Amino acid sequence: MKTIIKNFRLFWQGTILSYRALFAWLRPVTYAASKILMPLAQMYFFVFLGTFGSGKNNASFFVIGNAIQITSVSGIFGVTMSVGGDRDAGTLPYLFGAPANRFMIFFGRAFMHVIDGTLGVVIALTWGVLLMGLDLSHTNLSALALTIVITTFSTCGLGLLMGCLSLLTANVMFVNNFVYFSLLIFSGANIEIASLPAWMQFISNIIPLTRGIASARLLAAGASLADISPLLFSELGIGLLYGLLGYFMFAWFETQAKIKGTLETV
Amino acid sequence: MNYGNIFKYWRTVLVVAEMSIRSQFSDGFVLFAIVFQPMIIAILALFMLKDKGGDYAMFVVVGSGLTGLWSGLLFVSGNSINVERWTGTLESLIGAPTPFDVIVFGKNLANVFQSLLSMITSYALAAWLFGYSLSLTQPLLFFVTLLISMFAFVCFGLTIAPVFVMYRSVQQWQNAMEFPVYILCGFLFPIALLPNWTTPVSYLLPPYWAAIALHGTSTAYLHFNQIAFCWGMMLIFSVVDLIVASQLFKIMLYKARVDATLDVD
Repeated sequence: MKTIIKNFRLFWQGTILSYRALFAWLRPVTYAASKILMPLAQMYFFVFLGTFGSGKNNASFFVIGNAIQITSVSGIFGVTMSVGGDRDAGTLPYLFGAPANRFMIFFGRAFMHVIDGTLGVVIALTWGVLLMGLDLSHTNLSALALTIVITTFSTCGLGLLMGCLSLLTANVMFVNNFVYFSLLIFSGANIEIASLPAWMQFISNIIPLTRGIASARLLAAGASLADISPLLFSELGIGLLYGLLGYFMFAWFETQAKIKGTLETV
Repeated sequence: MNYGNIFKYWRTVLVVAEMSIRSQFSDGFVLFAIVFQPMIIAILALFMLKDKGGDYAMFVVVGSGLTGLWSGLLFVSGNSINVERWTGTLESLIGAPTPFDVIVFGKNLANVFQSLLSMITSYALAAWLFGYSLSLTQPLLFFVTLLISMFAFVCFGLTIAPVFVMYRSVQQWQNAMEFPVYILCGFLFPIALLPNWTTPVSYLLPPYWAAIALHGTSTAYLHFNQIAFCWGMMLIFSVVDLIVASQLFKIMLYKARVDATLDVD
């Protein structure tokens, strides 16, 4: 029992401290700009582009897709920087020198970003309803909330894996941005998956977000939680798979770094 | 800024530009902003606008290239002074006998020049991967427009860099400034789709006039008078930007010396 409490305390302290360390240098107004204005501008751009291409009747397709995709701001950038930040801040040797439970340390890096990402999607959907005519009157809102949480969780799973990769490369921002923008193509946020070539559809089916976005669209069209539950289970499974892959890579990185003495090199 | 300095120190401008290009090509973020992000936006736009027909491929190539130019201007030119501060070379550059604004001009020139890669890669993507047949409707006018646009972008960048140095709070809005300009300048869709009140804001942005003229000479047969008007607007904005930039540089350097904050981030 004592060990469990100790591990949960470690999880909680890790999650709070890594999140604060990531954003403490920002002023509240700047944080607000990244949470409120950037998503709004990105949504507007793709909604205008999409409706220019396929007509105003399809606006909700782009609003929902891009609102849910906003979760990857936290899921990709936030989580990756939380994991990779330890190397930049020079705290990695202390972390790996400590006898603390690695599983708790690793997954603790993502927890606050699940909350943060969920909040980001809620803000984006609010913009959609207030400014872009998104109609959620037939939507099961509790199912939508569950969809947002699960999608954010699975995106954070990918973020954890990317975070481990960030320990191996100096071009973290390149990798992060590449993944973030690629999700705009492959997740179906802006393009119908069915209209993509087969190899692109394959990628769409093995990444997080795709099923979350599809679920949110179905819910907006009036589907029930039972209708979308297979999609949500798959989304959750994909997120867990990416998170575990990240964890094993994290463990491998620690072992290799200790053997080769490459803890702070790339 | 003494404008004669650009001609007087033309060799310095070129050397700085060369140095900038060499150093930035090893920076993954810069490569992403000027090559990969415009390519991804081009892929998205080619899928999203495919119902518009094949003519839109060239529109997408130019539009996504412009997104690369703006992102490069915002993130690379915008930080062209800050990056010297971060690497500890700012004091040496300020202390050198070469006017500092000449150095920043060279850096911006390099950035805008290399950002043209975004247009080339988008062209290659649309032509080779998507198989579109691409041609410019008015090639000569397009290349003249491109040169004037480059100059306008360089001058615009000269006003952004000192602002980001002096007002850190403004720089922290950098990420939120990227997409609004894509929207307001009509890079990939006409601004007629936007609410009317935004139109005057578009008119005040040099990239808007670049977009009108580049689209007008690449995919449409814009009348020469209209193209010349866009050129005129870009040149007027360039002159205004240079005047504003000269004042900003004076204030920035004065403040840095008085407050002794040259290397303080």
